[in-house]
Parts: sequence; structure tokens; C-alpha cells
Amino acid sequence: MGELYPKQFWTRSRRDLAYQTLALLLLFGAVALVIVTASANLADRGIETGAEFLGDRAGFTLSETWLPYSPNDSNLWVVAVGIGNTLAIATIVAFFSTVLGLFVGIARISDNPLVLGLARGWVEIARNSPPILLLLFLYSFIGKILPTTDTAQFLPHVLVSQRGFAFPWLTLPVSAAWLAFGLTLGICATFAAGKAATRQQKRTGRRPAWAGWTAAFFAGLALIALAMTGNGIVIDLPVANGPDIEGGLIFSPEFFSLAVGLIFYTTGFVAEIIRTGLMSVPRGQWEAGYSLGLSRWQILRMVVIPQMLRVIIPPMNSQYINIVKNSTLVIAIGYADFMVVMGTMINKTSHAIEGTLIIIVTYLVINLTLSAVMNRLNRLVQVVER
Amino acid sequence: MSAIIQASLTHTVFGFVRRLVGSPLNFVLTLIFAGLLAVALPPVIRWVITDAAFFPAVPESCKAISGACWSFVIAKHSQILFGIYPNDERWRPLIVCVLLIGLLVYSVRPSAWSKRLAWFWGGALISSWWLMGGGFGLTVVESDLWGGLPVTLILTVVAIGFGFPTGILLALARRSKLPVISLLATLFIEMTRALPLLSILFIASIMLPLMLPEELLPDKFFRALIALYLFASAYLSEVIRGGLQAIPKGQFEAGEAVGLSFAQLNAKIILPQAITVVIPALTNTIIVMIKNTSLVLVVGLFDLISSGKAALADPAWSSPSVETYLFITLIYFLLCFGFSRFADRMEQRAKAPAK
Repeated sequence: MGELYPKQFWTRSRRDLAYQTLALLLLFGAVALVIVTASANLADRGIETGAEFLGDRAGFTLSETWLPYSPNDSNLWVVAVGIGNTLAIATIVAFFSTVLGLFVGIARISDNPLVLGLARGWVEIARNSPPILLLLFLYSFIGKILPTTDTAQFLPHVLVSQRGFAFPWLTLPVSAAWLAFGLTLGICATFAAGKAATRQQKRTGRRPAWAGWTAAFFAGLALIALAMTGNGIVIDLPVANGPDIEGGLIFSPEFFSLAVGLIFYTTGFVAEIIRTGLMSVPRGQWEAGYSLGLSRWQILRMVVIPQMLRVIIPPMNSQYINIVKNSTLVIAIGYADFMVVMGTMINKTSHAIEGTLIIIVTYLVINLTLSAVMNRLNRLVQVVER
Repeated sequence: MSAIIQASLTHTVFGFVRRLVGSPLNFVLTLIFAGLLAVALPPVIRWVITDAAFFPAVPESCKAISGACWSFVIAKHSQILFGIYPNDERWRPLIVCVLLIGLLVYSVRPSAWSKRLAWFWGGALISSWWLMGGGFGLTVVESDLWGGLPVTLILTVVAIGFGFPTGILLALARRSKLPVISLLATLFIEMTRALPLLSILFIASIMLPLMLPEELLPDKFFRALIALYLFASAYLSEVIRGGLQAIPKGQFEAGEAVGLSFAQLNAKIILPQAITVVIPALTNTIIVMIKNTSLVLVVGLFDLISSGKAALADPAWSSPSVETYLFITLIYFLLCFGFSRFADRMEQRAKAPAK
């Protein structure tokens, strides 16, 4: 009689080990091959690798930047300027498409056929056309309608010319740093007051009457402070000077069309997410709220929106990451975002490997940070299970 | 009978009107949006239709008009659609387009999934190659001359066709119990998904020449294809992983209990169920890929946008770029919208109870 279970050499654990070793060997082999050929290729072309080039003078011009920049700045600063431009456009698009998407998403479940049809048209066009074409179309459209030789008045004090779109803007008597400081202080104070009001409500059962007015109080305080420092607040109106515009807040045609195009595109997707969120809250929740005697607004704020957030935060997370990724499309109309800046820099310095590493690391850091923030938010709104 | 029809018609019309102006809110909304349409529509209609130039499709007809210059699109449609492909041979890319769109539409139905489908794909790809490139009785056309819609479609179809099996492997690898395999798959998928496609295309076009020996270096078309393929396989693998997670554990255990091997278990039991679950997400990914191929213009490939731009460069015309981009957007829109509608219908039919 032999053994009932003959001893096999390839047990499961040995086989698993063998597979993983094989995978690692293959990977190392491929990496080694790439490194060997890459260094041979680099040596052939006389390209050195290293990070020293980041300190060199950049030497190329960028059309439009949010951080101060001149061609004499270092390559490292150019990278920062590019990231700044990408984040600026991504923030603007994220803000406006979230707000607009909320309205379009609500319109998608309206019973008014006209509103429903328009919202549906918006969503379908946005979801079924390539964003790069929307940008190209808008840019060439705006280029056609802008007056060529002089400045036109679009709305009172809103001017358009080949230079772009100029809006009235405020000139503040204090520096931006003080403004940010005051804003942060005001927001924190408002939050603290809200917390205090909630504590009192829990103790006495009544929300103190001053709770709703705290934000207005701090805003008023800030306005008085601004008015008392020096020149006060001045409204900076754009003034036409032939085809040139002076003063005001000016958006170039490039920036305007890429912002409008990306906002239009992203709004279509946000609207669908909002619609799914709204439809995920059962009707019974509304009815239960009414039978408790809550008002429509109270139900929305305390019952429906918290449940809706649970459904929409994960897809909104990927939508915000998509905005960062889609902002690279501005290359089509010549706005200097991070990818354009990196491309120019790599062409100029031929430091392709280092440049590629910077690209990969930057996008990973931006997207992982976004994900981490949104995941934290997501944990806050999830049901706490015991 | 006719009374019933009349009653239901009255009901529909009455319901429509009631929803338009029934409540105060709806009345105000209707008023606002009807007003907006009344302001916005007439100029649009004037530009698109009444003031526009259609025929004859010559540059002179666009000189004295204030509307759209559709004559340009009519005159140049063949160049925009097929790029610089030789004029007499343009029926070949046309057949390729029809073939590939038909194949995509055919493949989203679960009832079509069998060994035969793989043969269809192989056959369609080889015959597309033959039709585009020529040889064996057809005039040879170099790949530098390919352009427009067929390039867009070939890139989409090949990236998805090869990305799908790779995506399945990646999804299985990511869920594997072997730590090294799952870590490697996760790293690849997350890296690819974190980067914009544009940067992947860009990296492929500058890094491949550095990383590969001269003899192995693929041309522009294949570099873009490789980038799109990697991108597609990462995204498809996440979709498939979602489907795998939806399969109850009992299915795996039952398969192992009857003694199926890993490959048999997945091919015969798990994957057919997992993929059926994620068909809507798969069609979404396919639409995203169709839209994404419009980005290959930044690495200098001759897709629809590039061929449109090339057509615009004709000095005889006054460069009607708005009309051209609208025309190209319309092509993409029809492809994506039609495809998503078809997939929706298939999904509804699959959900409907069997008769």
C-alpha cells in the first residue's frame, strides 16, 4: 500500500513563491534592460542626468501666469509657476462646475418639460463630446466675435476686445496677506460662534437668536476695518483705450474659453452625480420629515442632504481628480499649464528623465492629496455603525 | 376606440401644459427659460440656417454672407474625414470605419460573447489593416498617409481590444492573494490612473526613444497606440475589478470544491458573471476612450482634429474654423451618443424578464 496522499513537490505555497519570484525577476530584468539602454542612449547623445539643471536660468517666456514669473527665473521656479497655473484653473473649474452642476442636477429631476429638456441637452452634449473639441470650438468662436480694432461694451462696465474680457474689480487698501489673515480669522470666529450656539441649543433647547447673524457681524466688522485704513475700498473700472483695456480684472480670450469650456464639460458630469444622489434618497424620508413637522428647507438640510452626500462624495472625488487631469487639455489653445511648461522645459534642457519624474510625482501628489481630503470628508458623512 | 385615443391624447397634451405652467414655480421657470430661448435661438438659427452658405460648395459662396460657411464643410468633408488618404482610394477607409463601428456595437451584447467574437475581432482587424495599407491586389498606402476618422477608430478599437484581456489579467492580479503580484498590479493601475492621458502620451513619445534600442523603436502611430493601450487596460481593469467584487464568495468556493483550476474557475464561472454586471460601466469606459483618442493630435498624429486643421489651412477659404470644429464635434457626438443609446437599450432588454 502506498501513501494515500503522495507527497508532491509543487505544493501550493511553493508554487506561489515560484510565481512571485518569477514576476520579480521579470520586472528586474525589464528595468535593468531599460536602464542599460537608456544610459547608453543618453551617453550617445551627450546628455547628463542630475538635478543641477533646476537651478539654471529658464529662459523662455510664458504668456500668462498666476505666480510672478520672468524668463530669468530658475527652472525650479518655472515648475512651481506651471503647477500654480494648473491649480488655478482646476480650482476655478471645480468651484463653478460644482455650483452649476447642483442647479443642472436639480433641473434634471424637475417636472417642467422645458427645464428638463434644456438640462438634459446640456448633460448629453457634455458627456458625448471630447472636451478638447469644446475648447477649440469656443476659442475659435470667441476669436471670431471679439471686435478686432477697438473695444466694445458688453454690459455696463464690462468691456471686450482682442485683449480679452475686462470686469470691474475692487482695489483694496491692504495687502493680500492681511486680507487672507482677516478672512481666516473671520471664518474661524463664525465657526466658533456656531459651535457655541449649538451647545446652547443642546442645553436649553433653543438656538440663540444671534447665531444666524454672526457671519454678517464679522463681515461688517471687516468692512469697517477696511474702510478705516487709508484710501478705503476703490472700485477699479476697466477703461478702454483703443483696442487696449486698462484697469479692472482682465481675462485673456485663452483663459476665458478654456475656463468656460471646462466648466461646461465638467458641469454635465457633476449634474449626473447630483441627480443620482437626489434620487438615492427615498420619498419616504421627505414624508417622514413632513410628518415630524419639519419645514421643506429643514428636511433638505437635516435629512436629505446628509444622506445624499454619502452617495455623491466618492464620485465627486474622481470628478475633481478628472478636472486636474482635464486641465492638461488647455495645451490645445496655448495656455501655459503644468504640462506645457514641462514640455517646453524638457525640450530646452533635454533632461527628459528628470522632467518625466517631476511630472509623475506632481500629479501623484496632487491627486493623492485630493483623494485624502475627500476620503476624510467621506468618513465624516458616513453612517457610524456600532 | 378613437374616443380612447382622443382621451389619452387630450390627457397627454393637458399634462404637458400643466407641467409647464401648473404651479407658480413652474410658471416662473417656464417664463424665464422661454424668454432666454426667445433671445438666444433666433440669432443661432439665423447663423446656422437662414444666413448660412451651403451650395454651391465653392469659396465664393462664403464671401458675402453673415452666417455659417457650411460650403467649406461640404467641400472638404472627405478631407476632414480621411485626411490625406489618396482620393481614389477613399472607399477603403470608409469600409474600415463602418466595419469597426459595427464591430464595437456588435460586441457590447452579452449574447455575442463567444469564441466566434474573438475570430470576428481578429478578422476585422486584419482586414482593416489590409484595406488601409493595401497590398494583395490593392494599391499600397503608407501609414504616413492615414488620417482622420479611421485613425481615431483604429486607435480606439485596438486599445480597447487588447486592453480588455490585459485589464482582466490586471484585475485578477490586483485581487490575488500573492502579495508581490497584487502590489505590482496595484502600482501600475494607480500610477496610470493618476496621470492625465496627455502626459502619458507625452511621456511615451519622449521616453520610448530613450528607453528602447534604435531597432525596436516604434513609429509615432505605435507609440500613441501603446500609450492608449496601457491607459485603457488600467481603466478597464478597475471596472472589471468592480464586477469581481460583486460576485458572492460562495461562487469561488463552489468552483474550488468541484476541483476547477484557477483558470477554469475564472473563465467558466466568475468572469462571465462579473463582466455582465459591469456592462454599463464598460460602455462608459469605451465612450471615454473614443473621446480620449482626440488627444493624439498633441503627439502629432493625424486624427480628425488634425485633418480638420489641415483642411482649414487652404488659403482659398476664409478659414471657417468654428464650422469645422462643430462638424468634428458632431461626428464624435453621434458616435458616442449613438453608442451609449444602443448600450442602454441592450441593458434594458437584459433587465427585462424573460418571456
